[in-house]
Amino acid sequence: MKKSALSFILIFMLVFSLVACNSNTNTNTDNTKQDALNVYVSTEINTLIQWASSNDTSFTILNNAFEGLYRLDTNSQPQPALAKDYKVSEDGLTYTFYLKDNIKWSNGTEITANDFVYAWLKQMSKEATNGYSFIMNDYIVGGNEYFSEDISAEEVGVKAIDEKTFEVTLIQPTPYFQRLTVLPMFFPLNEEFVTSQGDNYGLSADAMIYSGPYVIKNYDIASGCNLAKNDKYWDTDNVAINDINVRVIKDCGAALNAYNAGQISKVTLQSTDVPAYKDSEEFHSGSNFRTDYIQFNTTNEKLSNVKIRQALSYAIDRNVLVDVILADGSGTGVGMIPYGMNGDGKKTFRELNGDINTFDAEKAKQLWAEGVEELGYTPELTILVSDENVVKTIATFVQSQFKANLDIDVKIDSKTLKARNEIMDGKVSGVTYDMAITAWGADYDDAMTYLDLWTNGTPYRGNYVSDEYNSLVAQAKQETDNQTRTELLLQAEKILCSEDMVAAPLYYRGFAYLQKPNIENLTVHSFGPPIEFKYANFK
Amino acid sequence: MFKYICKRLLYIVLTLFVILTATFFLMNKLPGTPFDDERFSMLPPEDQALVLEQYGLNEPVYIQYLKYVQNILKGKFGESYVYAGQDVSDVLTHRIGPSVLVGAQAVLLGLTVGLILGILAAWKHNTGIDYFTMIVAVLGVSVPNFVLAALLQYFIGLKWGILPVAFWESWSSSILPSIALSVSVIAMIARFIRTEMLDVLQQDYIITAKAKGLSKLKVLMNHAVRNSIIPVITILGPIIVNIFTGSLAVENIYSIPGIGSLFVDSIKMNDYSTIMAICICYSAFYILVILVTDVLYSLIDPRIRLISNRAE
Repeated sequence: MKKSALSFILIFMLVFSLVACNSNTNTNTDNTKQDALNVYVSTEINTLIQWASSNDTSFTILNNAFEGLYRLDTNSQPQPALAKDYKVSEDGLTYTFYLKDNIKWSNGTEITANDFVYAWLKQMSKEATNGYSFIMNDYIVGGNEYFSEDISAEEVGVKAIDEKTFEVTLIQPTPYFQRLTVLPMFFPLNEEFVTSQGDNYGLSADAMIYSGPYVIKNYDIASGCNLAKNDKYWDTDNVAINDINVRVIKDCGAALNAYNAGQISKVTLQSTDVPAYKDSEEFHSGSNFRTDYIQFNTTNEKLSNVKIRQALSYAIDRNVLVDVILADGSGTGVGMIPYGMNGDGKKTFRELNGDINTFDAEKAKQLWAEGVEELGYTPELTILVSDENVVKTIATFVQSQFKANLDIDVKIDSKTLKARNEIMDGKVSGVTYDMAITAWGADYDDAMTYLDLWTNGTPYRGNYVSDEYNSLVAQAKQETDNQTRTELLLQAEKILCSEDMVAAPLYYRGFAYLQKPNIENLTVHSFGPPIEFKYANFK
Repeated sequence: MFKYICKRLLYIVLTLFVILTATFFLMNKLPGTPFDDERFSMLPPEDQALVLEQYGLNEPVYIQYLKYVQNILKGKFGESYVYAGQDVSDVLTHRIGPSVLVGAQAVLLGLTVGLILGILAAWKHNTGIDYFTMIVAVLGVSVPNFVLAALLQYFIGLKWGILPVAFWESWSSSILPSIALSVSVIAMIARFIRTEMLDVLQQDYIITAKAKGLSKLKVLMNHAVRNSIIPVITILGPIIVNIFTGSLAVENIYSIPGIGSLFVDSIKMNDYSTIMAICICYSAFYILVILVTDVLYSLIDPRIRLISNRAE
């Protein structure tokens, strides 16, 4: 009896392996068609309603189906898009944008300055549910008052001078204002069309009209959307790829399999997959304008001593973190402002301010000893983190660095993202944090997107209140001279990440990906709109 | 019978109401808001209040609850907080299709293969077929469906290129996920049937049937299988609910736009109206399946009575 069972299993396995061998011959069929580009996004496309969109996935689609005054080029520099030019008044407060003549919506309607006024006012009002109203209201005259419905639309600083001239009045000089206009929040909307669609606007492909290089053919929240070249687009002759299919794949492993099976042309790699593909010619990597950092709670008694905080920062060898642990193209966090971010227009901010946050075990030990003495006791610290995989890995690394270089045991408190935020926001009564790992992704290409965060003294920013720091940032906001302004910001970063050690930068989030060799110029940006299909072409 | 079903339906409404209430208040204990926390918390408090007011989230929980119940009585699930402008019922109907298709195929496949394997195993008790079936059953129960899903995807989808790796595009996309989900069903059903059959085959009536000269096959089909199938209905109810309501892992691996991942996402993002709607639908479905099972029971097995007729 037993014998027959065994032989049965063996026969089964033999048959199974034969089938396996046989089928091996037809592997690696490359299904990538030359005329369509297949890519994926890793989360659902929650919405395509411009004033409700807040995540990268929505921005990816919006950026390619719509267009603003300017569009980033393959080097992430703004180039005239719907605008042909702009003029700034001498005080730096009035921007006049001149629109191109031959620009049309996908239904043939002319794109006018009124379309910008309508869209911008919507984004500045309570109607905007994407939480991004501040990106206009912080700059444009009357924005905040309009949001709280204290003034009427006519009093806000956005005006259509004529069909093709659009004027914006700012509260303070903002040298990077032109670069803001590449963001999806600043895209135009046709009032007549949007109103005619009512509540249906943006819910399906035919309930939208498009201003960008592509139109959306169909759209499904959970499975993705198909894009086709927009023949009404002003620059349609320079758009090479006719069809783009964007699918939703949430599982990293599945995405990699789909890439290897030729179903998609580009795939983002997890850190764990990087070693296996590092030497492939299809491998690429880069880093985003997104800094992960340790936020110290400066009003927490245990961390009230600056030397303690400085010691903790010096104790972390960020190069090991980036090269060994993450190994996915992430950049060493040597300051709050990531590599590549604009400084004074000629040099990057990082080039100008150098490496602020370095590893120095000796200095760390010495500062820790002094700090403990001044404090009167050795603080027992806990680091608050969210329960995402990467963050937990980093927390464990940081913990081991503190043990190795300061000989202290730091506890890790892992919470869901929402729960961590509640604690950091001080919304849980009686619960406070010592330090926490958090991150900030730049909204635009200027150091102000980071440095402005610590001027409010909120619990999330470590309850940090410094008159010196606040006045530097405030001065920078008023300054019309670019050189002086940059100096002020450089100084502010030094205070934040060194002198006062409010936040210890860890790394700039990287991305490693594989891309089929037959694709060129599929541009990935470090900030704002994540990906650009317009310039892509097949070799 | 009619009276019985009416009574049960009344209980269902009551149960649903209790579930709705419990979920609503528990859900409000979730940390955070449906908005992007980082940016939301940066708004000045008065602007935060304005946004909350816009969504009616500024009111005390019990008021929100009463309003919600009012809407539910009107048959409205409300608008999603995360899928801007979308009605929750639209989102649900859109997403339930793929989950049900994959689920139905998985249950059908699992039931068929499970039954055959189980019957064969019992019939050829202590032979190779029996051992093979039991190995399959043990593996099927112990290997999680997402591991199997990933393996199927790698071998059948990628290495051999027989079926699509992922995406929801044609019927062929639903084959691999259905197989992945069906294996645990096969395992459970096969084991169950085998045990039942072995038990039934020992019964006196089987000996009687054999004694009156019926062929082996007839004994098996007419007497043994029919009697062994009754208990399967009991476990089939929960299996169907479990599989139809979607599997987060399998849906994610095959990029199926199903309801399992919608549920988990909605909890992660505090999409209150979606959480509520899915909870209510899941519960209603579960309770209905239990009711149907009970009714089926009495139809298949005359020994079971739904109403005790003491007067008789």
